[in-house]
Amino acid sequence: MIRYLRFITKRLILLLFVLFGLSLMTFLLARVVPSDPAATYLGPRPQPEQVERIRAQMGLDRPLPVQYALYLRDLLSGDFGTSLSTHQPVLASIREYLPASLELMITAMAIALAVGLFLGTLSARHENTLIDHTGRFIAITGVSLPAFWLGLLLQILFFRVLGILPLGGRIDTMVSLIHPVKTITGFLCLDSLLTGNWTAFRSALLHLILPACTLAAYSIGIVTRMTRSSLLEVAQEEFVTAARAEGFSERRIAGKYMLKNALGPTFTSAGLAFASMLTGTFYIEAIFYWPGLGSYTANAILSIDYPVIMGVTLLGAVFYVVVNLLVDILISFIDPRIRI
Amino acid sequence: MKKQWALVLFLLMTASSLVLAGGKSEAAEEDLSKQVLIVGSVDSVTTWDPSASYSTEIAYFTNLYEGLIRAAAPGSDQPFEPLLATAWEASPDGLEWTFTLRRGVTFHDGTAFNAQAVKYSYERTMELGLGAAFILDPIESITVVDDYTVLFKLSYAAPLDRIAASAYGSWIFSPAVKDKGREWFEEGNAAGTGPYKLESYKPDQEIVLVRNENYWGPKDTPAVQRVLVRIVKDAVTMQNMLEAGQADIVTLIPKESLSSVDDRDDCKVLTGPSFMNYAIHLNTQKPPLDNVLVRRAISYAIPYDDVITVSLGDLGTKAVSPIPFGQFGCATDLPQYTTDLAKARDLMKQAGFAGGIDRTLVFTFAAENAAHQAYAPLIKESLEKIGIPVEVRPILWTAQWEMMKGDPLQAQDLGALLWWPTFNDPYETLASLWRTEKKPFFNFAYYSNPRYDDLIDRAYATPDEDEALKLYRAAQEILVQEAPSVYLFDLTTAVPMRENIQGFVINPAYPKAMYFYGVKKN
Repeated sequence: MIRYLRFITKRLILLLFVLFGLSLMTFLLARVVPSDPAATYLGPRPQPEQVERIRAQMGLDRPLPVQYALYLRDLLSGDFGTSLSTHQPVLASIREYLPASLELMITAMAIALAVGLFLGTLSARHENTLIDHTGRFIAITGVSLPAFWLGLLLQILFFRVLGILPLGGRIDTMVSLIHPVKTITGFLCLDSLLTGNWTAFRSALLHLILPACTLAAYSIGIVTRMTRSSLLEVAQEEFVTAARAEGFSERRIAGKYMLKNALGPTFTSAGLAFASMLTGTFYIEAIFYWPGLGSYTANAILSIDYPVIMGVTLLGAVFYVVVNLLVDILISFIDPRIRI
Repeated sequence: MKKQWALVLFLLMTASSLVLAGGKSEAAEEDLSKQVLIVGSVDSVTTWDPSASYSTEIAYFTNLYEGLIRAAAPGSDQPFEPLLATAWEASPDGLEWTFTLRRGVTFHDGTAFNAQAVKYSYERTMELGLGAAFILDPIESITVVDDYTVLFKLSYAAPLDRIAASAYGSWIFSPAVKDKGREWFEEGNAAGTGPYKLESYKPDQEIVLVRNENYWGPKDTPAVQRVLVRIVKDAVTMQNMLEAGQADIVTLIPKESLSSVDDRDDCKVLTGPSFMNYAIHLNTQKPPLDNVLVRRAISYAIPYDDVITVSLGDLGTKAVSPIPFGQFGCATDLPQYTTDLAKARDLMKQAGFAGGIDRTLVFTFAAENAAHQAYAPLIKESLEKIGIPVEVRPILWTAQWEMMKGDPLQAQDLGALLWWPTFNDPYETLASLWRTEKKPFFNFAYYSNPRYDDLIDRAYATPDEDEALKLYRAAQEILVQEAPSVYLFDLTTAVPMRENIQGFVINPAYPKAMYFYGVKKN
């Protein structure tokens, strides 16, 4: 237990350094980009006197190190600043968008792990057969298909042609008006389930299917290929031969002994893919008009809304580090040989 | 093992039956859907503060707030229509304006509308000094004559009727907001007199407006109970929403799709004029564009029709003046530049550039604007035909503006700009874009001509409309003769909507504004 605590503490201290470096870098980059935050704050047609006044109000006329120190001070007190274009507090907006992103990401990762582990195991057990080739085809397709294209294809098939799934959004407009969902966690499916709002739950779940599958495609490919190659590597190990000699069934050997040993690399890469989904889902969010962090970030970048860009960058860094930490701990539980 | 599987199967079946059930209240939803207008819009809200609003939120503000008067939509024989004021008149010298107010109006928060509210609203906007507050600069004092009469005294003559009709800076709101501070607005609150109230707001996601039951207009208006605005930034997504019936009105679809959407039985595209226009501003401080002959040559070299077709399809008309067609002050009888390469080459020869220019000129525009993107290659191609090499440099608007505001000698040679007036008056456009500036701000041609400055200043100050039009015309003629800018085209507004939507009005005086007041869903 102490070992875990020490490990977590070490990682978290490292995170502080990462965050400090990142905040400095994004801060400087935001100042190098030719744009005037005071003018952006004021809107499309500000007056020269207004720009001067707001610049002084925002402290933009002070020396850079002072500005940075002030920014850090605010950050430490939990103030991420206010968006230049929406004039909303950055932290409040993140709190609004994050659950939508997480709901999509977690569903996508669950799909990816379920399908990927299954396909990978199947491919490894039937190495170089038609099953393996099919698995490879699916995996490579998933990794190489651009997400926005796959999303559009799925929309055409399931919405236009078959008409069984909705086009986009998180919930049907009329449903959200007649059966409003009380916000508890911000996860629409979960909240509607917790409040017993079945109509809303049904609508939210149906809306989740297409974007989650689109988002899962890439990770399905990664998980399938990693699982397959790790399993094949593990198959050469002596303990597998030993287990076979003991007379255990192939199913048990694969499921209980081999898979456990092979999960390390799979989880590590799945963890990275998961963390990158946080802000890397812009296209999918745009196609399915899913109000998540990706669209929020993309809009901020286009208007050089630096408090938002910096806030999301820092959040992304924390997310990466925490996800990796969790994956490492998880792996050490599955495979006690891995010491942390 | 078998038991586990049975359990899983049971759970799955229960879950799926729950998911697939429902739909019993579909008839009720059908009824309700007539009461709800769903709008897909690209326009974000940058502020809910009516004193500070000066951006895309105008799309919704016109439903929440009202000014004293409003510029009439095309087809009206009057320039203005009464809103919160029922009558108004100016003193002969244009320095005193008296407005008679409408009785029996209440704000969304229940406060009664009266002269005090008018005074408070204008004074708050002037004091905050944000957004378009500058249009109120001429106002010296506001006096409450009685509960329903208010007197504006100006420090210099200005068209206060056009100012009061502005959708920026001239909203009237409840004096009860005094105790609430600006944050109250930003949380998604409104306190106007408009036909709709702001029910809820999720930044950059969703806005819900609900019918103002106490609206002063006819009893059956507005017809639609609720307006739900989904903020979507992608044109293709919006087209999908519209075609799927998930939106009744959308603000943007790819221009290539306009005709196919219009051809559908269940959709239509409403078009109308707008006071938005595109121009390319030429750096008049920097050789070779400091030479008026070269500037005229460029004005003759532009293939106007092709530029409009590639960037907007049918949604543009060639500019007849620096002021958009139909706007007050637009002179329609000015000499015009046509596409005439021979004339352009001849002018280049007269300017002493028969062999062309030995420097590559930089042409910048806002990269996020698809229209600029589309026509930019044509500009390059046509200028190269008369011996002017051009480098096309698309950059983000904020970066482009920083470059433009710098030293003219270091700045771009040609800079394209989409412009629209803050209020229905030509002065702001003519002054912002071409009046002499000590430090460049919006005068991207870096143009300076004392005679021109004097003409427009006099035009703005005179209370005599005919005199103003004459002076504005003279100023526009200078802008054509001296060619500090290439006047490309005026934009036509297109609003795609479902076939069953009736009563949507496009008013060019308020670009981007959507009036849900008269909209009906059949």
